[in-house]
Amino acid sequence: MKKCKNIENSLPLYAEGLLSDAEKMSVEEHLAECADCSKAIADLKKVAAMTQGLSDIETPPWFKQRIMARVREEAEKKSFAQKWFYPLRIKIPIQVMATIIIAVLAVYIYRSGDEQMKAIVPQAPQPVMEAQQEPTPAEIPKAKKAAPALLADGEKDKVSELSSLPVLQEAPQKFAARQESMKDRSVEDDSLSGAAKKSRMFKAATPAKPAPMAASITDQLQPVISVYVADVNSAVVEAEKILTNHNAKKVTKKLVDGKTILKAEIPAKNLKDVLSQLRGFGRVEEKNMPPESGEQAINVIIEIKN
Amino acid sequence: MLWMSNIIDNKKATDGDDDLQYVVLCRKGDVDAFEILVERHQKKMLNIAYRMLGDYDETCDVVQEAFLSAYKSLNKFKAEAMFSTWLYRIVVNYTKNRLKQRKNLAQHEGGSLDESAEGQGGTACLAVPSAGNPAELLEQREREAHVQRCISTLDVEYREVLVMRDIQGFSYEEIRDVLRIPDGTVKSRLSRARNALKDCLIKVIGDL
Repeated sequence: MKKCKNIENSLPLYAEGLLSDAEKMSVEEHLAECADCSKAIADLKKVAAMTQGLSDIETPPWFKQRIMARVREEAEKKSFAQKWFYPLRIKIPIQVMATIIIAVLAVYIYRSGDEQMKAIVPQAPQPVMEAQQEPTPAEIPKAKKAAPALLADGEKDKVSELSSLPVLQEAPQKFAARQESMKDRSVEDDSLSGAAKKSRMFKAATPAKPAPMAASITDQLQPVISVYVADVNSAVVEAEKILTNHNAKKVTKKLVDGKTILKAEIPAKNLKDVLSQLRGFGRVEEKNMPPESGEQAINVIIEIKN
Repeated sequence: MLWMSNIIDNKKATDGDDDLQYVVLCRKGDVDAFEILVERHQKKMLNIAYRMLGDYDETCDVVQEAFLSAYKSLNKFKAEAMFSTWLYRIVVNYTKNRLKQRKNLAQHEGGSLDESAEGQGGTACLAVPSAGNPAELLEQREREAHVQRCISTLDVEYREVLVMRDIQGFSYEEIRDVLRIPDGTVKSRLSRARNALKDCLIKVIGDL
């Protein structure tokens, strides 16, 4: 029985002829004397015949169609995925998006950097210009007083000449004066170190530039008397006389665009008298007439025209 | 085209594999080429799965899944062996998974689905013998049902080698390639499977 157990697993292979010669001899020796194992091998052969004789099952008629339907569905999904993830189709949008993001970031960084610069350097050139154009009310009287002192006599004349021109003509002159002063400063600035330059610029923003500012204010406030007469020449002679009679100094006469402009420095208290006498010649228009009438000398411009 | 070079590299291993040209076409997007592969292998796959599962409807499901899985993973086929070998491995694995699921379900429900499935066979379309009287036909059907029932009692590892060798007539080499187990293991499992089947049939039928 023990031997039967030992060769039990060799019997199927023996039946199939797969054992080596030695194993085959051993099995055959045992089979010759063991009826059970001989029967077992006969049964195995019958079982082999039964299994080999099993009928094949047939595929159902719809089988292939159903498989292919699912495969085609899968193929569509695949091609859809390929369409979207085809290298070029994905590469190009990624590149475009990357370019846009980089551009947006560059602009953002540039702007934020600009703001930071403004925060660090508040004395940038632009505020200087603004400060020059728009003096604070506190600065205006200072400038008024400083202007006559700083300007030479010739320059004063130029300024008073300019004041007689229309307001629009003032702008280029101021701009030129400002540019000149800026040029001077830039020449000086070149020789200065960075820190010194900054401090210089900062100072220049307020008190260092009173002269052009003061001049412009004085121009605006200088009294201008326009006299419309029939005979300009005789009226000019009469007007000169009136001015001389009223202690006028530095009387100058100029002929501009068919009108005669007389400029003089007279005591403020005499201005009213001069004005009333000039009314005797013809129609008089007055501008920027000062309210005070003290001993203080003021510049007055008299335009005599037809 | 790595897969193409793989196929060329492994050409020697798959010399004479008529399926390769259709596999190549499938990979290029020709779905109809896959239909030819289905046509060629569906019956064998169905029979392997049916003899292991013993249930016709379940077998149809499993084979469909196996074909679909094969189509999805065609790019993984390296042509190291015949395409059919690769395909049969897929169906055997799917069948084994189904058996495992069935076993787990039986453990939950406290019964054996193997036993309940055996011989039920859904509405299996068995090949009709060309000749024979109805009594013989009936006897043969009954005998087949017994064999199928006994196969269903075998462990899965014995069942698969028995089905492939004794029912489907695979060579030992093919079984080794499909199951990826050594020759000796195939033989020893087959011996045990045959003995177990014989014992079962003697128990069920009586004298063979």
